[in-house]
Amino acid sequence: MRRLGEEPAPSGAGGGANAAFTSLLEDSAEELYESAPCGYLSTLMDGTIAKINDTLLEWLGLERTAVVGRRRFADLLTVGGKLYHETHFAPLLRMQGELRGIALELKTQAGARLPVLVSSVVKRGGQGEPLLIRTTVFDAADRRAYEEELLRRRREAEQARAEAERARREAEADRARLADALAVLQRSLVPDSLPDVPGLETAVHYHTASADRLGGDFYDLFPLDGERWAFFLGDVCGKGPEAASLTSLTRYTLRAAALHDPAPEAALTTLNAVLYERYAVGGDPRYCTAIFGVVEPGPAGATVHLASGGHPPAMVLRADGGVELLPTPGGLLVGVLPDAPVGSVRTTLAPGETLLLYTDGLTEARTGPGDRYGEDALRAFAAGRAPASPQQLITALTGLLDGFGDGLDDDTALLALGVPAARPTTELPR
Amino acid sequence: MTNMDIRSRNNVTITGLADAPTVILAHGFGCDQNMWRLIVPALEERYRVVLFDYVGAGGSEPSAWDPERYSSLEGYARDVVEVCEELDLKEAAFVGHSVSAMVGVLAARTVPERIGALVMVAPSPCYLDDDGYRGGFSAADIDELLESLESNYLGWSSAMAPVIMGNPDRPELGRELTNSFCATDPDVARVFARTTFLTDSRADLADVTVPTLVLECTEDVIAPREVGAYVHAAIPSSRLVTLEATGHCPQLSAPEATAEAILDFLAAWH
Amino acid sequence: MTPLNITRRDAAAGPVLHVAGDLVYGQAAALRREVERLDLGAGQCLVIDLSGLGICDSTGITALLAARLHAHAAGAGIALAAVPAGTLNVLTIVGLDRVFPIRADADTA
Repeated sequence: MRRLGEEPAPSGAGGGANAAFTSLLEDSAEELYESAPCGYLSTLMDGTIAKINDTLLEWLGLERTAVVGRRRFADLLTVGGKLYHETHFAPLLRMQGELRGIALELKTQAGARLPVLVSSVVKRGGQGEPLLIRTTVFDAADRRAYEEELLRRRREAEQARAEAERARREAEADRARLADALAVLQRSLVPDSLPDVPGLETAVHYHTASADRLGGDFYDLFPLDGERWAFFLGDVCGKGPEAASLTSLTRYTLRAAALHDPAPEAALTTLNAVLYERYAVGGDPRYCTAIFGVVEPGPAGATVHLASGGHPPAMVLRADGGVELLPTPGGLLVGVLPDAPVGSVRTTLAPGETLLLYTDGLTEARTGPGDRYGEDALRAFAAGRAPASPQQLITALTGLLDGFGDGLDDDTALLALGVPAARPTTELPR
Repeated sequence: MTNMDIRSRNNVTITGLADAPTVILAHGFGCDQNMWRLIVPALEERYRVVLFDYVGAGGSEPSAWDPERYSSLEGYARDVVEVCEELDLKEAAFVGHSVSAMVGVLAARTVPERIGALVMVAPSPCYLDDDGYRGGFSAADIDELLESLESNYLGWSSAMAPVIMGNPDRPELGRELTNSFCATDPDVARVFARTTFLTDSRADLADVTVPTLVLECTEDVIAPREVGAYVHAAIPSSRLVTLEATGHCPQLSAPEATAEAILDFLAAWH
Repeated sequence: MTPLNITRRDAAAGPVLHVAGDLVYGQAAALRREVERLDLGAGQCLVIDLSGLGICDSTGITALLAARLHAHAAGAGIALAAVPAGTLNVLTIVGLDRVFPIRADADTA
């Protein structure tokens, strides 16, 4: 480009520029080799250095006489680089005759490390036999720093990913452990299986609404003495660990109280006093509803004595197909008042008759927007199946619960006791 | 894993005379069975030659890689044992280069009926210097090697790949070497490097009872002459041959001499 | 679940809390907090107006019982007003209709 006011150069001046260019070109190949901005090196096939340029000698801080014929290429490398050279570089070069851009470090005379990129080519003779190795060496300090940064970032990213993965696994393991613990705890709140009661048939079902929230329903059945058996079923307020601890307290209080005084009213009164003392006095009321019963199987059937603290009424399926509710008027939530009234009722179960205790998960199940299943529907359901053995009834009710699907949003406990129907008297031929 | 076909897992190749005694060739750290390419022709004339890649190297099955198993030489020895069993080898001669020489020692101990002779090429039972023992390296040196592997990961993947892919002089090599070197996952190389250079197998040498050839080079940075002498002294049934070769890979730098030494030894044994 | 909204006004006999929404697990604690914030005097009567109540589960009942304890501790009384039929049924089953005075609406003296 020509500046304003400048005259075009006379043709003679062009000749002068060419002369300067020519003098540059006169730079000999030898000088180009020695002073090139990269290192040059030729070695014998065994690596012995035969020729090396000034640039590389300068980088290394070595005298030519100390190198040529005295050192091998690998000697210029750091120890790690030597290992890499022997295990990767040299074999590859032998096999394919050429290698480019290998990252190595030279060790300078002063002890410094010089990151370089090395390319080598095998020169072959007329018969294809390898003669020598030509190598160029580029200063790669900047590039290496960049690569190291990339590698560092990659390592960091891998580490972060590994840590995230570890955290995810730990969280999963924690969740699994918690689920295990909850399942164990849940099992401690209700018996694994009911004992056999001579002259009675029993059946239970427990529906857990949510695996991670401990439910608050409970039941039990245990012997009082040779003739009588106690049983109870109930529902504590709330959900989760606090409900579980309340359930546990309730279950073991009722068991202990019954052994002390087997009257059903006495067991619930004791439970009321315990819960009231433990919770309500501190301003943190917790309570339960419960039915506690004592059953005594006899030759003609079983007598049943029930007491209830605010629990939905028990139901009896009679042998003639009738269904009765057994209300216990006057009973109150257990644990609310210092002296809570307890309601009681008695009945007799004839052969083929079944008593059902249930929690309100069953009657409160949602059957439509704003609709709950309700006591009347339950009664009608039972009437449609009476008479029924405890197992038949529980099986039918389990099917009913399954049919509620998501509408069943609370834990539900079902306990049925019954006197087996009289066997047909027809004798089998011998 | 147990159902995986061992032959494809270890990329087993079999050449040479089908009815002749078997020689099995095991590569060392950094390479694969291509390392034997220059001496295989000489061996093929007289023997059945079995080549394979350790899991993690060359054309082995990548999904078989197990960092735990291959963190000890026993893991690599199991590869050898499994290949021997798969081919039902009896009294085979095992030729192991570098770290593979020690892998062969372990394998021969496990299945003595299958391995009848050992050829240890540039072996070293311990690369680290130890009280009174000169292995040649310090732990810091090994860390440097790991760094070199790491820093060449970028080099291999970017700069090296095209070079190796297009090798106009010897196109038959290009493809295989691509597989051999570019496919080496740096994580795999790191595990193999640590196992190779940080294992001390000196005590295992005492278990060698089979005829053994120790091949060393006159100048080997990785396995110095002292180490060759040490191995020879530790194995009473061994012969030591020093090849006029430099570097750690005499099968590449002096293939004729290497093949000749192996053939002489095998002929004497048989 | 309908969100819970509790508003307060002061009548001659004492504070009136109007509860709208569901008194259920996860929400009922708000009623307890609201009640604990009240500065009840002896002789006053706290009225809980349930005319806007949706569902009431056992934690809702617990909150009502806690309110009762809080009022009694202060020497005050408590009454429930305008209890929806479903909740009244539950209160009756569990016997709480005899524990809480129940009024037709909040303004009944």
